[in-house]
Amino acid sequence: MEAQAAQIQKKLQIELDSFKATQKDYSKMVQQRQLLDGQLNENQNVLEEMNKLNEDKNNVYKLIGPILVKQSLTESKQNVSKRIDFISKELQKCNDRLVSIEKEQDKHRENLTKLQQQLSLLSAMK
Amino acid sequence: MSTISTTEQPQMQQIDLMKLNLQQLTQLKNQLDQELTIFQDSLQTLKMAKGKFGASKDALEQFKEGDSKKTTLIPLTGSMYVPGRIKDIDNVIIDIGTGYYVEKDRDSAKDYFKRKVDFVSEQIDKIEVLGFEKSQIRDAICEVMTIKIQQLKGSIPAQES
Repeated sequence: MEAQAAQIQKKLQIELDSFKATQKDYSKMVQQRQLLDGQLNENQNVLEEMNKLNEDKNNVYKLIGPILVKQSLTESKQNVSKRIDFISKELQKCNDRLVSIEKEQDKHRENLTKLQQQLSLLSAMK
Repeated sequence: MSTISTTEQPQMQQIDLMKLNLQQLTQLKNQLDQELTIFQDSLQTLKMAKGKFGASKDALEQFKEGDSKKTTLIPLTGSMYVPGRIKDIDNVIIDIGTGYYVEKDRDSAKDYFKRKVDFVSEQIDKIEVLGFEKSQIRDAICEVMTIKIQQLKGSIPAQES
């Protein structure tokens, strides 16, 4: 009986640890999503601004290290669009990951309650 | 719009509030407090951004025809200046974000900053409305909590007698 209780206790601890790990993962992912969201927003604003520009009238420069390098408007637009695509994809990945972590969390939570029930059942039988 | 939305659907919210127990209410209040702090932070950031765009716009307004002949002091560091002249007064280079800079003439630069200020102001208004709604809900929750606590206090001596 004692051994059984100890075993459940041990399982409970393992389960709890992995639950905490998923929680950590989750908040990390949420942070990353926020970051990506911000970047996406910024890039969209830049693209919107570029769409208002005129190739002949406005020179576009890109900051590379400490210097400004002249670039063509079309190239810049393409570059920013590519970035937007990339960030959107990353964001999607992030969201998918969040959903799967949530599922994992639910599973752990379920296991935890089950183990707790077993433990209280055992102590009641004593 | 938001997860915990508001006064617009009172049937849902208000009945729910009375039905919740103290623990749930505290949880809800904490959540709202958290959201409110986030709103406060973003408001501050937005106001700062608005200030920056506004300052750039004001600086542009100062430019006049013929100013290219006058000398200005150009800051090299925060505390050291050298005299200089603005050679090209009609064009400025603007940071539009993510490392891209665009050369614009004065009028379209002014227009750019005006648009930015308007955009940020719009966002500020939106967040202010949302924040106001949330703080109203928070107040309602606090009220229900005091009622619940009073009920609890009242019920204990009643049980003893």
